[in-house]
Amino acid sequence: MSSLATTPAKRPTGEILFALVFVSVGVAGLATAGSIPIPPSETGIGPRAFPYIVCGMLVLCGAGVVLQVLRGKVGQAEDSEDLDVTAKTDWVALAKLVGFVVLHIFLIEPAGWPVAAAVLFSGAAWSLDAKPLWKAITVSVILALVLQYVFGGLLGVSLPPGPLFEGVPFFHG
Amino acid sequence: MLLLEGFSTALQPVYLLYALGGVFVGTAVGVLPGIGPAMTVALLMPITYALDPAAALIVFAGIYYGGMYGGSTTSILLNTPGESSSIVTALEGNKMAKAGRGAAALATAAIGSFIAGTIATVLLTFLAPVVADFAVGLGPVDYVALMVVAFLTVGALLGASVLRGLASLALGLFIGLIGIDDSTAQQRFTFDNPTLVDGIDMVLVAVGLFALGEALYVASKLRHGPVELIPVSKGKNAWLSKEDWKRSWKPWLRGTFIGFPIGTVPAGGADVSTFLSYAAERKLAKGANKAQFGKGAIEGVAGPEAANNAAAAGVLVPLLTLGIPTTATAAMMLTAFQRYQIQPGPLLFENQGALVWTLIASLYVGNLMLLVLNLPLVGLWVKILQIPRPYLYAGILVFAALGAFSVNFSPSDVGILLVVGILGYFMRRYGYPVAPMVVAMILGPMFEVQLRRSLQLSQNDPTALFSSPFALVVYVSMALIFVASWWLRRRQAAVEAAPARDKVSV
Repeated sequence: MSSLATTPAKRPTGEILFALVFVSVGVAGLATAGSIPIPPSETGIGPRAFPYIVCGMLVLCGAGVVLQVLRGKVGQAEDSEDLDVTAKTDWVALAKLVGFVVLHIFLIEPAGWPVAAAVLFSGAAWSLDAKPLWKAITVSVILALVLQYVFGGLLGVSLPPGPLFEGVPFFHG
Repeated sequence: MLLLEGFSTALQPVYLLYALGGVFVGTAVGVLPGIGPAMTVALLMPITYALDPAAALIVFAGIYYGGMYGGSTTSILLNTPGESSSIVTALEGNKMAKAGRGAAALATAAIGSFIAGTIATVLLTFLAPVVADFAVGLGPVDYVALMVVAFLTVGALLGASVLRGLASLALGLFIGLIGIDDSTAQQRFTFDNPTLVDGIDMVLVAVGLFALGEALYVASKLRHGPVELIPVSKGKNAWLSKEDWKRSWKPWLRGTFIGFPIGTVPAGGADVSTFLSYAAERKLAKGANKAQFGKGAIEGVAGPEAANNAAAAGVLVPLLTLGIPTTATAAMMLTAFQRYQIQPGPLLFENQGALVWTLIASLYVGNLMLLVLNLPLVGLWVKILQIPRPYLYAGILVFAALGAFSVNFSPSDVGILLVVGILGYFMRRYGYPVAPMVVAMILGPMFEVQLRRSLQLSQNDPTALFSSPFALVVYVSMALIFVASWWLRRRQAAVEAAPARDKVSV
């Protein structure tokens, strides 16, 4: 079964760094949990105990994973239907996708949701090598307008139509 | 009877239409590769924001069952199975499809899912009120015990790596802590940031982890080139033959009775039950049928599919009666309930009786609709499977962003979504399961409340946590479950290894 193929040996630096994220969140939590105010009426274990337990658990688990990785037991990357397990990680595509989501966030309010959604869709499709590009853009415009109509118009979810479509009545709830 | 009242609501034409919409959208999204049932519910959450509670629950019932059906279609027809809950179906179903028996595999899966879903819903109908009655008498100590079991099974048992599962669990608990403490109204880990005071919304975390994380992960290693589908043969021979029926009906029933109990106890939901059912069918098959295992045995599709759907109904028992979600999908359902101020638990059947029975009635209705819809619409599902991948993942991103934005209509929520999505990407890359994080995030705050209440009642004497007989029974069963799971894990490894071995020998 291709899906059970073992992960190829790789430098585990990234994996150790990621496990250290868990440790550092735990440490930061332990450091700040002491400043959670306890009301004088409190008779039980109070609002600090559970945070201490959880943060301690984060530190222990994160450190445990680091030890495991150092001893050669790396994590098994997840499978998915559309995944080529042998492919190298395409960092450029990832960066583009993240970039388009950020762009989307900053477009929603000034340009309106349909525009922001169309930009996100065509940008993401372009990042993933959709060809031809004009087709992706056409699809994105249609999709954005349909979603705006269905959610903004029919289902009453108040998505901002933006200056371009402000006057179109069926884009509002 | 109360169920009849539920039916009288669920059978109103408008609600039937909602149910139809729910199962249709649920199946369509569930068919999409890479999208499991939990992600289906998470992604479709915005659809229900403007509906009344009854309509919303009916749509969710449809989405819940529809998502389960959709997954099996994917694993039978797509060359590259992936989701864990349908990976067993893929073992035999994929081989059947390659041998030109795709339609039969789809049919046995659909009919088996229907039979199992219906029987399991009947069991749910009778069992849930009994459990609810019993649960009224449970104290905080008992809830602590139940939730400890839920945490440990979800976190430690189900993933490939115990430590990574627990790390994911702890991270979910931590995110659940952010915001205002339920018991004392003190701010915790908010760093005086106004957006953190209300806590981080569950929908953002779930959609971020499931949808955005998955899309980023697949994008990083996308399989390029055309989508490989196995064509579904048409014609008379393709449909279930008399022989197929004879070989299918027992696995359907066995799968049901394996799946339902496993779903009801907080011990892991659908995945475990499909593996168990597959192993049982493999063992029980005789002669030529046994030799077919690994090459497309119909029993290997019928049993696990039935088990999968029966477990899905079983999971609703602890969810509705105790308010404890035991799978990521159930956690999403609970989030959906909470949006409508519906708090599942022992009092749900008393306080919101009409709604619960409408929900249960619509499970029956949805199941029947799925059977009627599914087989004639195979052509449509095949079309959906062929969506070019760049469009598919671009669409998932747009939908995830839409879901996040419509939580509070604030673009900064989409920012939180992105951060969680990146986290989800790295979790997948380095083999951390995401389900424990989602379950922990929703269960953590409830757990803390019950834990503090029990300790307050006992003047902070921790031994009180083991004082109730029920809690003791729960802890002992947990120990047994862990022993059993250790044994199961070895079996599962054997099941996974077996087809590979067959392949080598051929």
